Amino acid sequence: MEWRHKHLFDIDDWSREDIESVLNLASEFERRLDSKESLPSLKGRTLVNFFLESSTRTRVSFEIAAKLLGINVMNWATASSSMAVKGESLKDTVWTLESMGVDMIVIRSSWVGAPQYIARKARRARVINAGDGTHAHPTQALLDIYTAWKRFGSLEGKRVLIAGDIVQSRVARSDIIGFKKMGAYVFVSGPRNMVPLHLDALGVSYEPDFIKAVKEADVIYLLRVQKERWKASAIPSDYEYHMNFGCREEVLKEAKPEAIVMHPGPINRGVELSSEVADGPQSLILEQVRNGVMVRTALLYLYLGGER
Amino acid sequence: MIILKGVKLFDGERLREGLYDLLIEGRIVKRIVPTGNMNMFEGAKVIDLSGKIACPGFIDIHVHLREPGGEWREEIKSGALAGAYGGFTTIVAMPNTNPPIDSPELVRFVKLTGERAKGAKVLPAGSVSKGREGKELTEMARMVKEGAVLFTEDGSPTVRTDLLRSAMLYAKDLGVRIMEHPEDPYLSENGQINEGKVSAISGLKGIPATSELIDVERCIALSRELDVPIHITHVSTALAIRAIRKAKEEGVKVTCDVTPHHLTLDESKILESGYDSVYKVRPPLRSLEDVEALWDALRNGVIDAIATDHAPYHIDEKDLPFEEAPSGIASLECAVAVVLDAWEKRNRPVSLDRLLRLFTSGPSRVLPESYRSLGYLREGGFADITVIDLDKVSRVDVSTWKSKARLTPWNGLSLKGWPILTMVEGEIINDI
Repeated sequence: MEWRHKHLFDIDDWSREDIESVLNLASEFERRLDSKESLPSLKGRTLVNFFLESSTRTRVSFEIAAKLLGINVMNWATASSSMAVKGESLKDTVWTLESMGVDMIVIRSSWVGAPQYIARKARRARVINAGDGTHAHPTQALLDIYTAWKRFGSLEGKRVLIAGDIVQSRVARSDIIGFKKMGAYVFVSGPRNMVPLHLDALGVSYEPDFIKAVKEADVIYLLRVQKERWKASAIPSDYEYHMNFGCREEVLKEAKPEAIVMHPGPINRGVELSSEVADGPQSLILEQVRNGVMVRTALLYLYLGGER
Repeated sequence: MIILKGVKLFDGERLREGLYDLLIEGRIVKRIVPTGNMNMFEGAKVIDLSGKIACPGFIDIHVHLREPGGEWREEIKSGALAGAYGGFTTIVAMPNTNPPIDSPELVRFVKLTGERAKGAKVLPAGSVSKGREGKELTEMARMVKEGAVLFTEDGSPTVRTDLLRSAMLYAKDLGVRIMEHPEDPYLSENGQINEGKVSAISGLKGIPATSELIDVERCIALSRELDVPIHITHVSTALAIRAIRKAKEEGVKVTCDVTPHHLTLDESKILESGYDSVYKVRPPLRSLEDVEALWDALRNGVIDAIATDHAPYHIDEKDLPFEEAPSGIASLECAVAVVLDAWEKRNRPVSLDRLLRLFTSGPSRVLPESYRSLGYLREGGFADITVIDLDKVSRVDVSTWKSKARLTPWNGLSLKGWPILTMVEGEIINDI
């Protein structure tokens, strides 16, 4: 199949069919791996994990995904790079990477729009956004959708609750777009000062009562409180947050029995969810991590033009 | 001697009936007569401008020239030439340089360097506080004697209200006014764009409209209490416009300006462009409703001046991901065209008289009394003249700019309505 997108900044310009292509391909790759069949090869291709913001799980996930397809992987982190040490500009770094023959740049950055910037500068390489500031995290959204889709078969009409620090969350923004495209109803909960004022722009509703929200949800998606991004403290204490917006055992008892609990990680036990919930039977948190590799394998395959 | 022949004449207040010939002798406008009635002086250079509009030289009261300390971005000379090529005969240089313009010596430096530039006249603005630290007042009286025409902390607000109040009172008897950059620094801290739909979608930290409003209301309260004028620069929101309109109706001595970019660009450009840093500016590009409110305010007289907030950066500093890039749009050389083009595209929602006042007599009233004549075109006055051609269509081409800045949102765009001749004290700087 021919993939019509050159770069992946977010999934806002994707159709539902695009998402389904990724889900189906991820599913096929997962089946092949489970039955010890080999995956198609993209040997000779080179990918750089260009991580200007630290992240272990996403970087390793991309690395494993690339290696499953035989792609050469380089990791380029800022701490010891020329950018940090010698003051090289981002533009020059991108051109340097391209000159070294890189086919794909997987970029993680704390700057909104860094993937678009790199794509504007790149002459040949494709760009995948592995998280840009508080804006978007499309591969996380796709693995989240894949996880829920595998569980429910269809997401049409499912009620997806995203709870917590929405205003700072790139995961929330991409998940809202993606789940809605798949026909789900998405709503948010959390302290009102952690929800964007102009929520209508995201096309979701707000339920201030977390327990009420949990009762209605098929997917309970919890976000990490990103304290490091808040200048003035947004919550009085972890404990108060946990008691009001944390997914605790008592709260989860109110949920539908088939409801699933998800979280993008890293989790803060005792803040957005309790250990009992994180490690409990309704939690798909570890499955999300495994699914991340499958989805990213599918994405690399599509973006690097592999033949099925 | 120069004769500008067959022009329409905007005198600073209104467009007069008929066509005129203007005789310029030395630095002075010697005569203004209905066209065809001028004796032809031997040796006079006659420039036929039939049907074009001669105006008092345009005044831009908010320009960043970056010298001293930021000469790779702009110099007083390059900025003064850029101003003249953009149709301005007078520009006011902001004091947030490095070091800031906070002493009589530095005011003199800006003034003298500007005089040597042979471009637009450069009038220095001084900082309100020493070192722009927001603590101690600068030696305003001595600075005024050296030529400071305004005092401002621009680039940031005057954070301490007691200092702002004190500065307003002190400046009153010096015949100069304080110009405030309206912003609440805590509400806008780390802010990247307008707080609204685009910040919700992008996750970029929003600067709420109330950040501007709170400071505007503070300025109004002080001006009302003290009966001292204050000028609020680059107003960008409907909320602030409403507050200023109400204050003016009550007789509070508040004046304000708007920028060409806030009149013509809205926050959606940031998304459309894929977060191109050329649209990053402070105050941020606002919503479409705010843009409409600014045009309404032009129409109903709430706004006193259009000022560019020309903020030059070297391409290496600005060509970065949106969040990393500094805020500011360079526009001196196309600002007049940007406004005239938008005015035309909007089917001329403001009378031409009013629009031209915003570049001439409007800004001159923000300056000290002794500079008021700059906004008027009269016999006996200085020959500071801007001639505009409302029908001229031309493309913005930064490669021809006198400014050192090379990033502007309008590069490559075709605009209708341009200044075609700029004369500063009888010297033609820009004759296209």
